[in-house]
Amino acid sequence: MTPLKKLATIGAALAFVLTGCGVGGDTDDTGAAGATCPWEPNEDVTATVRIGYQKIPNGDVVVKDQKILEHCLPNATIEWSNFASGGDVIQAFGGKSLDIGLAGSSPSTKALSAPLDLPVSVVWIHDVIGTAESLVVRDGAATDIAGLKGKTIATPFGSTAHFSLLQAIADAGEDASDYKLVNSEPEQIAPAWGRGDIDAAWVWDPTLSELKKDKGEVILSSEDTAEAGKPTFDLALASNDFIAANPEVLETWARAQDYAVKQIKDDPKKAAESVAVEVGVSTAEAEKLFDGFVFLDASEQSGPDYLGGKLGQDLFTTARFLLTQDGIAAVADEQVYADGVNAGPAEAAAQ
Amino acid sequence: MCKGLHGRHIPHSSALTGTVPPSKTTRTHDGQALRSSLVTRPPSSSRSTPARWLPHVATLAVLLGVWTLVAVSDVVEPHYLTPSPLEVWDAFVRANTDHAIGGGVDRVVRGEEGYYLWEHLVVSLQRIGAGLAIATVIGVPLGLLMGTSRIVGTLLGPYVDFLRSIPPLAYIGFLVAWFGIYNTSKIWLLVLAAFPPIALATVNGVRGVREDQINAVLTLGASRRRAVTTVVLPATLPDILSGLRVAIGFAWTTVVAAELVNGLPGIGGLAYLSGTQNKIALSIACIIVIGLTAIALDAVIRTIEKLLVPWRGKA
Repeated sequence: MTPLKKLATIGAALAFVLTGCGVGGDTDDTGAAGATCPWEPNEDVTATVRIGYQKIPNGDVVVKDQKILEHCLPNATIEWSNFASGGDVIQAFGGKSLDIGLAGSSPSTKALSAPLDLPVSVVWIHDVIGTAESLVVRDGAATDIAGLKGKTIATPFGSTAHFSLLQAIADAGEDASDYKLVNSEPEQIAPAWGRGDIDAAWVWDPTLSELKKDKGEVILSSEDTAEAGKPTFDLALASNDFIAANPEVLETWARAQDYAVKQIKDDPKKAAESVAVEVGVSTAEAEKLFDGFVFLDASEQSGPDYLGGKLGQDLFTTARFLLTQDGIAAVADEQVYADGVNAGPAEAAAQ
Repeated sequence: MCKGLHGRHIPHSSALTGTVPPSKTTRTHDGQALRSSLVTRPPSSSRSTPARWLPHVATLAVLLGVWTLVAVSDVVEPHYLTPSPLEVWDAFVRANTDHAIGGGVDRVVRGEEGYYLWEHLVVSLQRIGAGLAIATVIGVPLGLLMGTSRIVGTLLGPYVDFLRSIPPLAYIGFLVAWFGIYNTSKIWLLVLAAFPPIALATVNGVRGVREDQINAVLTLGASRRRAVTTVVLPATLPDILSGLRVAIGFAWTTVVAAELVNGLPGIGGLAYLSGTQNKIALSIACIIVIGLTAIALDAVIRTIEKLLVPWRGKA
């Protein structure tokens, strides 16, 4: 054989091996036992639905694990993609790679503001963030936020936790410039904490639990800032084109989310099992994690306090915060944020 | 291992600009002499003697011992940041088996994120395979063109050099925006990382072909095209394979960057995701698998090299 022929043969063999060995995976996944569609499945839908999810203990992963959408839209193609942060989800929306995706209220506001101005709408509130995001103080460094003045506080900049931290500082009548705020991803906060580089952190799980175990004390949480009128959320965004073209998908999707929220409230053990599988925690931990959030079913969240009205104002407030953080180029008109909320699917699911 | 290749790049990039008339034969011999001294290995008969593998076993044992000591001691706090070798092994086994989620729930899940660890690895290898295949299809003809035509070489050389020097993380964001979050953007990234070394190595090889050999076939009546396929290409093959080896290294390190966004299944995606979830043991297991796979891939290419170009280094 000439070298060239040898090369061609080896190349072909390699190509065969690499493409030939298909990978199993989800198809034969054990899945949640005996899951079916809790209502009459809609067999007319044949669309492809591309969903971006995050590993957050809320209804979204319950819907995913129990394959509610797959069972209720048996002829549709459901593609789940995992994202590490809301920023990545927004980037994927920008690349027109997603139809529905989960992002916190800060990245969602970013999507609706300049320079992105993405054609997306908020269609669901997965959860209102409560004690799931908290300010932990190391080794008794302070007992309230004023006592942390001059100290180092770590938080992921541009996140909902960062927003809550700045709101808390402002609500205490303090100036953020008196604090040493450090931008850090959650997984890097724990080592910095262990070394004593930081005095406090506003962060979420699993890092939050680790800090609490290691000389940490929670002095404030996003529940407090929410009560003070500055709530933060995990939201669902959907592309406007997709909503217009597939209203029945959105309705089924919202019903599935509503079902998951009710399961978290009525049968937390079953929901915790799904969270354990998807988020990678134990079932006991999963049940505890639920306490850190407020979950709203379809009829609760379609009302005027949330999707039906106030959420638009909350997004506008978030936009003003993001502007001060260089997160967006300009705050759009308040109406833009009100129009960026579409309560339709939630209202349909509430009936 | 690729020092010999890099060493050869430098004189050639100046040759690319056309200022240095290359004295082909001498340099080729120098380069090959250098490389053969780097890859020459002792005869295989001495491989299996204890004297040969004992030092390796001892080094590994010391490494694992020190690692365990660091993990047990509280040098790094909190503890989960420094898993012991045993914990990493457990994570590795868990990731390759069906395991119960525990907590008194009768539910078994498959590996990690619905796939076994080896399946994550295979998916990443498939991405690399596709990226390398495209990179070779683009890189080799481009390199031949750049090597045989001085104008094309001078014109395109700087761009290929430029592309080679950008870290892939710098442009993954654009690729996601243009080509979406699925395999297309990942394979594009791998192609962009892998084709410059292949193209540059091909240019090197073409420049190293002895002119009298080409002239010989031309005088015997061969067309230009035949001269390229029967003389230039085979003579360039050793360099193309060296380029491929470098490209595989690049592609393998790049696949982790490519899998930062929607990388599941994928070994890079799993390593990243487990890091963000504070599952450090799993993260380290992935990293070790990535490293061992890279060594194995390199060994495969070296074997192919031996099969294809047995004359290499024996000139």
